[in-house]
Amino acid sequence: MSEVLLEIKEVSKHFGGVKALDKVGLTINKGEIHCLVGENGCGKSTLIKIISGFYKPDGGEICFEGKIYSSLEINQSIQMGIQVIYQDMSIFPNLTVAENIAMNFELYNKKKLVDWKSVKKIAKKSLDHIGIDIPLHATVGKLSVADKQLIAIARSILYHSKLIIMDEPTSALTRREVDKLFKVIRQLQSEGISILFVSHKLDEVFEIADQFTVFRNGKLITSKAAKGVTDEQFVYYMTGRKIKEEYFTAENADMEKSLFRVEGLCLKNGFEQISFDIHPGEILGITGLLGSGRTELAKTLFGMYMADAGKIYIEGKEISLRSPMDALRQKIAYVPEDRLTEGLFLTQSIENNMIVSNIDRLRKKSRVVDFKKGSADSRKWVEDLGIKLHELKDGIQTLSGGNQQKVVLGKWLETEPKVLILNGPTVGVDIGAKYDIHHYLRDLAGQKKMAILLISDDISEVLMNCNRILIIKSGRITGEYKNTDLDSSRLQALITEEKEAEAV
Amino acid sequence: MNRITNYIQKESNNVKLLLMLFLSLLVLTIATKGQFFSLNQMQLVAYLFPEMGVLALGMMLAMISGGIDLSVVAVADLTGILSCMLLKMIMPADASLATQIFVLLVILLCSLAMGAMCGIFTGSLIARIGIPAMVATLGASDIILGLAVGITNGSSVKELPPILNEVVNYRVFGVIPSTTLIFAACAGVIAFLLNKTALGFKIYMIGSNKDAFKYSGMDNKKILTMTYMVSGMLAAVSGLLMCGHFNSARSDFGKSYLTPSILICVLAGVNPNGGKGKMCGMVIAVIILQMLSSGFALFRNISDYYKNLIWGLVLILVMIVNVVSEKKKTAK
Amino acid sequence: MKIKELLKHNECYVAAIIIVLSFAIHITSGQFFTANNLVDLVRSLIVPGMMASGLFMVIASGNIDVSFPYTAMLCMFGVTKLFQMMHYEGPVIFGFLLAGLMGMLLGLINGILAAWLKLPTLIITLGTCTIYLGFTQGVLKSSVISVLPEPLADMAATNLFSVRSASTNLGSSMPVSIFLLIATLLLVGFIMKFTMLGRGIYAVGGDPVAAKRVGFHVSGIKIFVFTFCGFIGGITGLTQVSLSGMCQINFFDGYEMTIIAAVVLGGASIAGGSGSVTGTFLGVLLMKLISNNLILLGIPTNWSKLMTGVLIIVGVSTSAYKMTAAERKVTSNILICGDGKEAADE
Repeated sequence: MSEVLLEIKEVSKHFGGVKALDKVGLTINKGEIHCLVGENGCGKSTLIKIISGFYKPDGGEICFEGKIYSSLEINQSIQMGIQVIYQDMSIFPNLTVAENIAMNFELYNKKKLVDWKSVKKIAKKSLDHIGIDIPLHATVGKLSVADKQLIAIARSILYHSKLIIMDEPTSALTRREVDKLFKVIRQLQSEGISILFVSHKLDEVFEIADQFTVFRNGKLITSKAAKGVTDEQFVYYMTGRKIKEEYFTAENADMEKSLFRVEGLCLKNGFEQISFDIHPGEILGITGLLGSGRTELAKTLFGMYMADAGKIYIEGKEISLRSPMDALRQKIAYVPEDRLTEGLFLTQSIENNMIVSNIDRLRKKSRVVDFKKGSADSRKWVEDLGIKLHELKDGIQTLSGGNQQKVVLGKWLETEPKVLILNGPTVGVDIGAKYDIHHYLRDLAGQKKMAILLISDDISEVLMNCNRILIIKSGRITGEYKNTDLDSSRLQALITEEKEAEAV
Repeated sequence: MNRITNYIQKESNNVKLLLMLFLSLLVLTIATKGQFFSLNQMQLVAYLFPEMGVLALGMMLAMISGGIDLSVVAVADLTGILSCMLLKMIMPADASLATQIFVLLVILLCSLAMGAMCGIFTGSLIARIGIPAMVATLGASDIILGLAVGITNGSSVKELPPILNEVVNYRVFGVIPSTTLIFAACAGVIAFLLNKTALGFKIYMIGSNKDAFKYSGMDNKKILTMTYMVSGMLAAVSGLLMCGHFNSARSDFGKSYLTPSILICVLAGVNPNGGKGKMCGMVIAVIILQMLSSGFALFRNISDYYKNLIWGLVLILVMIVNVVSEKKKTAK
Repeated sequence: MKIKELLKHNECYVAAIIIVLSFAIHITSGQFFTANNLVDLVRSLIVPGMMASGLFMVIASGNIDVSFPYTAMLCMFGVTKLFQMMHYEGPVIFGFLLAGLMGMLLGLINGILAAWLKLPTLIITLGTCTIYLGFTQGVLKSSVISVLPEPLADMAATNLFSVRSASTNLGSSMPVSIFLLIATLLLVGFIMKFTMLGRGIYAVGGDPVAAKRVGFHVSGIKIFVFTFCGFIGGITGLTQVSLSGMCQINFFDGYEMTIIAAVVLGGASIAGGSGSVTGTFLGVLLMKLISNNLILLGIPTNWSKLMTGVLIIVGVSTSAYKMTAAERKVTSNILICGDGKEAADE
């Protein structure tokens, strides 16, 4: 059999009270393409950060090329030949392309001085290696997400690496770019390099992986050869559920009325001519690649960006959205993409996080805030949404990701919105809470007749919970489908294939 | 019993501060052979601390909102100068006591308005133009102080009508300095603002995470501007107190108060990164600092210059202690 | 193409303003392009120029230091007093070495506190600067030293050359310490542009988390920039003595603000990660140009503080406002990159 390169044994890691990893193991052979799969928040990223030396594990050991370590340092792991391409790519927006590519390599070689000629040469060589043409002197901050991803990849292949870890490298790539990446990965494999490929996309795993390992809720579920595993088995490993969920069909929706209508919305550099209509009781899904304009659209509908052209109507009345304050006034709620930086006040209590958007309505006639009513309101949502907590006055940090997300949702529901926009609502949320949130959304649409816009890149989330799905690509809507007409591989193909718009 | 341990756990910072207060009182009393622990000394402390204390309240608001207000001193100086000039101008030569007090109240209102204007100016630089609080308040402080220097040519405004000095030096019932009551009033208003009103709640939240604040549909610009406005008004009160104390106005009176006012906030447990800080701690911290300051004055051989050295050392020490104890807490 | 690239740089605008302003002053007063005025201008640039280049490193790394003028003051008095006490008569270079060493030590204290406490560096350095000030006034009991020890007095009396303006009959001389300024600028420029350390400073200023992942020693870089700034501060302190022929406690009053302003005017973002030595120097030049010529421009000296304040706010506002406006727009181009790249492929 082939030689073992990296072996993780019984590694655990806690954050506060939350167990991110519970005695997990992972074995990677030399020259193997290994896929690490699992839903968001299952502990994949934590394990990567332990291998790269960014986190210290609480227990267990790491065995690399026969040597045993209880934990690693960042520089040590780089010297050992481990390279990580993080999901956020860890590139420096203020520096040039050439420098971003070559900098780590120069550091790795313990260079003290910068030779700009060699920096350019190294960068050129590496970009040529993967066959990509980006101007070397451009400032990276001004490039697109896909280009940044490619730069990060170009950067990691420079080393005499033995193991390259890619954390969801395809989330911003079109099908053609994915093919290009896979070609590069196979080339690296033929050079004897092992790849740990992290993903939650089924088709990619089957296409590229020799071996795969599944994590769920911080635990190791299975690890086996990719050949011969069926889709259903695979989904079961990932979600732990065999029962197929029912598609949401919005049968209670009032298709005559329009609750939220967008007409010809444009944002420079963001999107063009976006039009759609959400009826009361509907959940409309919008999905597309990272950098397709989906987040920009969500933020524009909440007033964070000002649209250059187009109209927005609520219940047939045109409204103007100049800021999030306008959105709040017009009863539009927005659950943001990045919970930690955009959704939560981490140093504050759970209760304060729940009442913040509603604080002005809690004022009594004397201008004094009625914090008692605030507590009572919060308690209601805690029960309704099934938030597990000890005390409302505890810090929000004591909660798990799923419960934190429910707090953000509760905050917005308290403002009695008519339109609820969610951008990646279940990223970093455990499966139980994810299931709860999905069901709650269906109830909101079905019973409260809310108009819900669900923007997400989680294929199954969109497919199961949205009765209609729009696909956005390069800032334009390229198709509208009923969820019952699609399955996950078809939807995946629709998202990644190129130039669909012209073909139709 | 249980309740007491609960309280100690919850308000550990205040308990620590009270212990410090008691300890410094003890040390100073012993070191001065009892001289410090006298009604006279206590009155002096109570008379002097409000100048610095009111200034620190403004600093605290800015720090809770996640920024810092380095312009408090400049605002105090400028409003002090302008108010004194106005006072000289409008005070009738032989007015009755009632008229004099009325005029003084008018001056107070004008002074508050000027402080608010300065605050709105710095607040707008931060909130609307987007200059980091530190640079904006430093720059604004140059502008405001520059106005003060320009107007006075760097000299002092003297020969004020005596009423201001008399009010500031007045002792209620012959015991309590009026300045203490003014500080109590300011502290009360700010405590009410922070704990009971929507504005106070929002100041805490914006300091905790300004992006999430925006994403919660709140008005960042308005709240930040108002925070600095209130801070400016407090600085104006402090400016009047200083003018009353020295019975004149000058563009460099408040100079030595900047570091102590930051020190008071840090000592009181206000988080320099924003989002945290309570009034109770502020009151104790101000008193500790003034007590130390007055205590040092009793030692002839310690020159005034050592004060700076000591303030700096205490500030750094307090930060070290806070960080170390925080690390211990999270380790648990 | 080349010119277009050049025009993108902030330095260009500052340089343009400087040129326009110089001519404006010359036209209104007729005294700008005279030998003695230019020499005076250069002379007045030495101390702020050195300080600004040290501070620039700190700002590029995303930190701030307000203690450097006090470091300079402490080193200035420390070394001069020591020389006085020892009746030192050796070469002056040891004085500079000693001052640099003292400055390094003071900077090291800042750096260690900043790396360890992880609190806003403004508050930390505000704390240490009061300590340094208190130490100078209290322990060293210093306010003025008017008679310098011999080596320093000698240096103060040595000039490269002197010029005399024919029209006004005013004389000015170029001090030796101009070489110190040149050396500092070159050194900082070299570190920032051609060493991994310098690139690390930019990287940490741009994104500290990413810098850590890549393998930069983030705390080490923090400590280095503060130590280096202290080092420059120490040397600058002694340079000031050699320029003015005496020590005075108020030499560096208000320097923290003007120097920060100069660095920011020169194009460095206060958030870190950008800027250049050239820009920093141009920023200092612009500041000095204005403050030296306020009278020629018709502004009475009493209002000069107000003017610096206005200048700072205007200078910082333009870049800050650009950033605030950019937040409301999408910068990375979704539409063009999607189509454009494919177009380029085909």
